[in-house]
Amino acid sequence: MLLVAAALPLLFWDAGPSTAPALRDAHIERIAVPAAQEAAWKGVAGIVVQAADVGRLRKLAVPSVEYRPDQASASRAPWIQSNGWEFVRAPGAHFYYDAPGKAAGLAAAEAFSYGADALIHTDAAGLQYFAEMLAFLRGIERLDLPPLVDIAFQDDGGDTAGEVLNLMLRNNLLVRAAAAPDPKAKLNVRLGSAQFPLETAQDPAAMAHLVRSALGDDHRSIRIYGTQVVLARVTAGGGRLRLALLNYDGARRKVDGLHVRALGRFPKHTGAVAGGAAQIDDYSLDDQATEFTLPELKTFAVIDLSR
Amino acid sequence: MPGPYPGVVVRVHSESCLDTERDQANMESVRRMVSAGMKSLTGAGSDHDAWTRFIAPHDVVGIKVNCSGAPRICSAPEVVGAIVENLTAIGVPANQIYIYERFANQLQTVPYAKFVPPGVTIWAAEESRGTILGYDPHTYVECNFFGEEDTRSNLVRLVADKLTKIINVPNAKEHQAAGVTGCLKNIAYGDFSNVARSHQYEKTNTYSFIGTLASVEPVRSRVVLNIMDALRGVWHQGPFNRDPRFRFYPKQLLIGTDPVAIDHTELDLIEAKRKAEGAVSLWDRSRSHLGDNRDPNMNHFIREPGHIEYASRLGLGIYDSSKIHLREIEL
Repeated sequence: MLLVAAALPLLFWDAGPSTAPALRDAHIERIAVPAAQEAAWKGVAGIVVQAADVGRLRKLAVPSVEYRPDQASASRAPWIQSNGWEFVRAPGAHFYYDAPGKAAGLAAAEAFSYGADALIHTDAAGLQYFAEMLAFLRGIERLDLPPLVDIAFQDDGGDTAGEVLNLMLRNNLLVRAAAAPDPKAKLNVRLGSAQFPLETAQDPAAMAHLVRSALGDDHRSIRIYGTQVVLARVTAGGGRLRLALLNYDGARRKVDGLHVRALGRFPKHTGAVAGGAAQIDDYSLDDQATEFTLPELKTFAVIDLSR
Repeated sequence: MPGPYPGVVVRVHSESCLDTERDQANMESVRRMVSAGMKSLTGAGSDHDAWTRFIAPHDVVGIKVNCSGAPRICSAPEVVGAIVENLTAIGVPANQIYIYERFANQLQTVPYAKFVPPGVTIWAAEESRGTILGYDPHTYVECNFFGEEDTRSNLVRLVADKLTKIINVPNAKEHQAAGVTGCLKNIAYGDFSNVARSHQYEKTNTYSFIGTLASVEPVRSRVVLNIMDALRGVWHQGPFNRDPRFRFYPKQLLIGTDPVAIDHTELDLIEAKRKAEGAVSLWDRSRSHLGDNRDPNMNHFIREPGHIEYASRLGLGIYDSSKIHLREIEL
């Protein structure tokens, strides 16, 4: 079983050694650089350098939300640029973000959440946000927990399957890409089956809704209320459950309150909220689930629940 | 709801209550309308006796206003002021009175503070639009209309935690999705979060959702009085009022404990106005009338005025016209 190692993302920096003071000021101690610059950076005090060829890496979208109210759409839901499906589809791959400004922090958090091996390139404005997020991530306790999965999705690697995978994850459905049916999953999905016909998959959003209906909201391990722009990455094991909550609109605005329902009774909780207080309100348990409110989410939070 | 006077609606009309040229309500006239209406509803001989049928000095009273068409069309501050005067007169301390609405940006456009004594709290559930922090996470209605991810509508925390009585003060307005917005919708969609999801598309779910929310406890038992402000009204493009062509001036208050009976009376009022203006009926369901609603024969939604009759089937009041007792008072 794949464990999420929660590796820290690495800054890909293509400026010359003259920028080293800015990196030191941001407490950046390790960077990746283009191979052509590796020699120039060798010997720069306080910064460990490795060469990287980003052309060989899978390039990711800038994590964000796109609002297009002036365009016709089948949905009023904001369009979230999330890379979760890329990580779920190819968990052992190497990734690359080009994330300017505030997006650099969210990119770092997203890669961390999925335990992805990722380089993040940013601009001078993004250095501060990347560094702040990196400092926050360093303070998160390492837990090698496997992803919590409700749905095993038989992924044929094609574009349609990729977009269905993307939309399931964007709807906070906990899914993993599988080569074969998984008897432990609550729901197995194979496009082209009688239950999940290919014709429906031509509208990936409709297929994601069909999958959600087949699973049933009551059986979903995680529900997020009060926001359309926060996605959860969930890992669990040994009586513990970790929620990594990403505000994809974090570069623009904070979320003033979101409510979480997690299946299972977890009497204890701890939390860490990037750039804010680790305050959790309205914590309650019923027969089947644990619920709580996070009063503020700027960009990223990690909430650990335990028995 | 429907309270001690099911089927009873007191309509108080006063030509002097509103200067339509200046769009200015007359406070003294409004006071007389409230007084006459409350005494007629209860049969009491004094304002004190009328108001103490519903409210006691120990109550924490919420006045649910409607500011969705503010500042032009809203629960008039003169009406709210007259209500607060009566509450304080029977001994309710000002600090036990709350004027509340869901959205701060709408509520803040209305000068309620000028019409009520110091100590009255003016409170909004959403200081920033969309926040869930003003809602009770434990009291909600959950349903999935269109595949939306957030399937809960939560009750305003103030109602869940603090208020012991609620006075509902809606306006008389056409509503593009619900047909009209009155007592039921003001207390339902005005007390719960995440309700706009019920009318995202032409065919809406307002028919059953409004009554369902209004019947949730503790809302149902805490709403003890409905005073519909129909000094001003909207007969098209509601609940907002961006186009003055669709504003009108009924110059009346509708008072009762039965929200269904009042809303049916309001429905008749707005339907009659539309008919007089040559506009299609609120009951029209033709898809050919879907479109740009600058034309009063067009609308963005298929209206659901049947939501009022549906609410009656939940036991919230009397819908049958033959059983509604409309008392008319002319001042």
